[in-house]
Amino acid sequence: MKIALINGSPKTKNSASGILLEDLKSHLSQKAEITEIKLQKTFIPEEIAAELKTMEALVFSFPLYVDGIPAHLLSCLIQLENAHWQNREIYIYGIVNCGFHEGVQAKYALEILQNWCKKTELIWGGGIGAGGGGGLANMPSTKNGHGPKAPIDKALQAMADKILQNKRQKNHYVSVAFPRFLYRIAAQIGWRQMIKANGGKTKDLGKRPEEP
Amino acid sequence: MKLVITDLKDFSISIKGEHRIIKPQGTIHPCFGCFGCWVKTPGQCVMHDGYENTGMYMSKCTELILISQCCYGGVSPFVKTVQDRAISYIHPDFVIRKGEMHHKRRYQNVIALSAYFYGENITEQEKKTARNLIEANADNYDGRVKNIYFYKTAKELEDILL
Repeated sequence: MKIALINGSPKTKNSASGILLEDLKSHLSQKAEITEIKLQKTFIPEEIAAELKTMEALVFSFPLYVDGIPAHLLSCLIQLENAHWQNREIYIYGIVNCGFHEGVQAKYALEILQNWCKKTELIWGGGIGAGGGGGLANMPSTKNGHGPKAPIDKALQAMADKILQNKRQKNHYVSVAFPRFLYRIAAQIGWRQMIKANGGKTKDLGKRPEEP
Repeated sequence: MKLVITDLKDFSISIKGEHRIIKPQGTIHPCFGCFGCWVKTPGQCVMHDGYENTGMYMSKCTELILISQCCYGGVSPFVKTVQDRAISYIHPDFVIRKGEMHHKRRYQNVIALSAYFYGENITEQEKKTARNLIEANADNYDGRVKNIYFYKTAKELEDILL
């Protein structure tokens, strides 16, 4: 079975989208021929678009941007909608990670991807909305099914099973197994460390610059 | 002040009162997720291509009006790029609103958000997604929704007054 794992994060490294695809891959790789693709620009090279059309399943993994799909990936989807698909028996799955704790906040981004499937006449296989994505890159590696990522691992395992069976799943919304109030504190410590590393002060986070 | 973000290059819609229009002019670069607008130059995007100040413009507006082709129940790539590049309007810290995690306010203005979508074949499902998406945007801006309309063509919009 030919499956494309498509990383739709604009980040060049350490993206939560990539981490989630790595985890999904660990559940798939023995039984499938995996192609890994990064879409970081507003345009898909013709050879990549051609390769995607030869797959049996496409899995898009991307971060939630302003409740939706990052703009560069949206441009790529429009390009793919207008491409000539000889085989439309291709299952499309989505994995959306969001910085908020609640995975359900990815609901409308998954709906947009589902609506794209309808327009492109491909088969919507279902998705995962993963909350707490902002912390994924900083979490220690644990065995699948253990640690804060356990609920997400479980959802990825279930999705892998569906992909390998050419089946659909309902959208599944999960969060990291880490209390929301601690996640919020950890994120806020992170922003303070980052602004200090850039030579700023904590109070600068709330700056209100005047327009030029 | 009304702030209009539109993908219409030839924008010819009447607007009452003070306003600013952001429309396609030159190249706009998509957000690459650096969070520089929060932790390097707070309040302003680090990419200087003419679209770096949208967050500041949003802080001056009472109404934010999106005029966009409807793409699968969302806005078009241009309008979405402008939105993605304007997260500096909000503060990186989190708050809990309506039982969900959102970002804290950076500014005090309350935005009334309107969306005018156009497109030949907007399905009922896409309209439903679009309405919910605009509601979600308003929640994240800690504002409110004013109007959401759908049109078959951009030409039909020329008869309205914003």
